[in-house]
Amino acid sequence: MLGQLLSSLTDGLLLGFVYGLAAVGLSLIWGVMTVINLAHGPVIALGMFGTYLLFLKGGCNPYLALLAVAGMGLVFGFLIYGVAVHRVLNAPHLSTLLATFAVNMILIGVGTAVFTTSPHNIDFSLGSLEVGPITVPATRLVAALGAILFTAALYLFLYFTRPGKAIRAVANNRKAAELMGIPSAWILALSFGLGTMLAAVAGGLISTFFPFTILSGGPYELKSFVICVLGGLGNPLGALIGGLLLGGLEGLIPTFMPVSWVPVVEFGLFILVLLFKPSGLLGAK
Amino acid sequence: MALMEVKSLASGYGEVQILWGVDLNLEKGKLTTLVGSNGVGKTTLLSTVMGLLKPRQGTVTFGDRDVTNMSPHARAKAGMVLVPEGRQLFTTMTVYENLEMGAFSSRARANFKQNLEKVYDLFPRLQERAHQKAGTLSGGEQQMVAVGRGLMAEPEILMLDELSLGLSPLLSLTLFETLVRLKGTGLTMLLVEQNVNMALAVSDYAYVLAQGKIWLEGEARQLMKNDEIRQAYLGVVGH
Repeated sequence: MLGQLLSSLTDGLLLGFVYGLAAVGLSLIWGVMTVINLAHGPVIALGMFGTYLLFLKGGCNPYLALLAVAGMGLVFGFLIYGVAVHRVLNAPHLSTLLATFAVNMILIGVGTAVFTTSPHNIDFSLGSLEVGPITVPATRLVAALGAILFTAALYLFLYFTRPGKAIRAVANNRKAAELMGIPSAWILALSFGLGTMLAAVAGGLISTFFPFTILSGGPYELKSFVICVLGGLGNPLGALIGGLLLGGLEGLIPTFMPVSWVPVVEFGLFILVLLFKPSGLLGAK
Repeated sequence: MALMEVKSLASGYGEVQILWGVDLNLEKGKLTTLVGSNGVGKTTLLSTVMGLLKPRQGTVTFGDRDVTNMSPHARAKAGMVLVPEGRQLFTTMTVYENLEMGAFSSRARANFKQNLEKVYDLFPRLQERAHQKAGTLSGGEQQMVAVGRGLMAEPEILMLDELSLGLSPLLSLTLFETLVRLKGTGLTMLLVEQNVNMALAVSDYAYVLAQGKIWLEGEARQLMKNDEIRQAYLGVVGH
């Protein structure tokens, strides 16, 4: 019993890092421009398909493919920002919600036409690791490490590079940033690109161990929302920790009750946090 | 020679027009003050000059370039720098990072080290507080960061909006002394101040804004003696 518990907890926590990575992307975009990116889910799915295609047609190692997917995610985010977000950025929130939702529908529509909605999977295994009673598929371990690496890279970028600091400046006070010579529109596009990149990478990591369809991003998008609320929206570190919390719960719940209860508990928690600590468990104010 | 020229500038917010044709000529190396009662449109004027607000009419020329349609960040890069009302610091970033962001443009970055030394020399307090979050500083220190950040942008013209607002008389005096030191280095400045006495005392030239237009202008020393000026900045005229 204990062995099984530890095993599923480890499984959940490792997955939690990847959830966290996706949520960091969502949180970054919100933190910089207060836009809820409803195209987050399909971008995660596109990350899955990008990795899949590079692996299947390009014969690429999935982890190598992931780097290409990251680059494409960045460019794709730039594109989404330029086409759908920039012009409505200063309009009421509903406009940006509808704009990103429109992108969401377009991506799902095109994705369905191209890939159909039947499940795909990447036939790839690194074997598994056994530590005492715990058995972990190595792909999950690598995925967790990848998520940690990308989050750490984002942190270093935001705190130690000039464009990264400019992102924080624009997030803090866009008008002042503009007055100091920072081209805020480019910085916003870059932030959106980075958020999209992280979503695509999270999708790519997930695709190495779960089957997926073009619709698979949806549940991860919802999880990202829950995680962001847990960790405090706009707080990337909180998002990663929120991801761990959610992953841990997902690992533990099925050992006590039927799997179908997982979303009930998750979203119950979501509402409780909104009711009692709306700034998030780690939110400062 | 005029470094910055504002010609018949009209501007406002939505349905409300605030400026009705303002003309300014800022001489190179001079400290100019813009005087006017509360709500007369001084901040609106600076916002329009910097491109944060689109003018309805009129032009802004800087050096020999028409900058009327330039974005604010392009103006900053060209050397027009505004220290905005209410400081508008990057409160979640350190003092040092705020100064770094001031030097964002390539032109300012080239001389980052010398400019940082100059700023620390003007405000030694900022060096002590370099790694503290700007939002945690006192009001006076925050204003020093705001001015320091503006100087890091290597301005050719520095515009200062309500520098002394909310500061103690002693702190205001210190900041005004800093302005005099900066004037000594040949920096062109435009000062918007509610403390008109102090502003006129350090300025070369002054404009009085009333009813959305320039109502009076002249040498600061002469305007100080003008009875109408005393009434204007007390709010008797201009409504």
